[in-house]
Amino acid sequence: MTFVVTDNCIRCKYMDCVEVCPVDCFYEGDNMLVIHPDECIDCGVCEPECPAAAILPDTQPGLENWLKLNAEYASVWPNITIKREPPADAKEFDGVEGKLESYFSPKPGQGD
Amino acid sequence: MSTDQITEEAIRHLVDEFYIKVRADRELGPIFVRAIPGDWGEHFATMRDFWSSVMLTSGRYKGNPVAVHQRVEGIELQLFDRWLALFDETCGELFDETTGAAFSTKARRIAESLKLAVFYRPDRPWPKSASESASNSTSESPP
Repeated sequence: MTFVVTDNCIRCKYMDCVEVCPVDCFYEGDNMLVIHPDECIDCGVCEPECPAAAILPDTQPGLENWLKLNAEYASVWPNITIKREPPADAKEFDGVEGKLESYFSPKPGQGD
Repeated sequence: MSTDQITEEAIRHLVDEFYIKVRADRELGPIFVRAIPGDWGEHFATMRDFWSSVMLTSGRYKGNPVAVHQRVEGIELQLFDRWLALFDETCGELFDETTGAAFSTKARRIAESLKLAVFYRPDRPWPKSASESASNSTSESPP
C-alpha cells in the first residue's frame, strides 16, 4: 500500500509534501512529483499537505495507471527532499482537467 | 485525526513506555536487543522523531525504515502483530480512546507497509491481516 501523486500535481508542483515525508520517497520530474511505492510507508502525512489535493491512497479505485506512472518515474527521476519555489503559474494550473494528456513531461527535474 | 492530546510530550511518554514493554517482551525483546546493542538513547530519540513526523508532521525524522527492517535478524511476519498489541496496550494506558486510535491507525498502516516490503513475494499469496479484516467488516456493517 502506498500513496500516489495524481493529475493535479502536473504544472502545480507545490512540493510541500517533500518536507513532511519521513522517508524521503518523492522523486522530481520536470513538472510533477511522484512517490516511490516501495519506499512509501503509507503514513499519510503528505496527503493533507498537498495544496492541490493531488496525493491519494492507492486503495482508492481507478488509480492503477497513476500507480504505474509513479513507480516507473520514481526509478528514473532524482530524489527531492527540500522544497523550492513552485512554478510561477502553479495557481493557474490548479484544477485544470486532463493535465496528463496535455502537459505531462517525462523529463527529470533538478532534484535536491 | 489529531487531537489536543497528541503533543511532543505525549509522544516522548509513549515511546519510553512502549520500549520498556518491548525490551521485556519474551518474543520481541531478544530481537530488539540484538538489533540495537548497547545504549538505547539514540533509538529512543529516533523513534520520538519518527512519531513526531508522523503525528505532528514536524519533518524531524528522515530515514529509511524499510531498509532498517530488512536488515533485522530474526524478524518474522507474526512479530508485527505482537508489536502492534504492545503498542495498543501502551496507548490504552496513556491516552483516551480517540488519541489512542489515532496512533494505532497510523501504526497499523505503517506496519502493513513494512510487512509487505520485508516479506512480500510475488509468487506467494499474501495473508490478509487481522486488522484489515476487522476494519473491512466494520465498514461493511450498517451504521
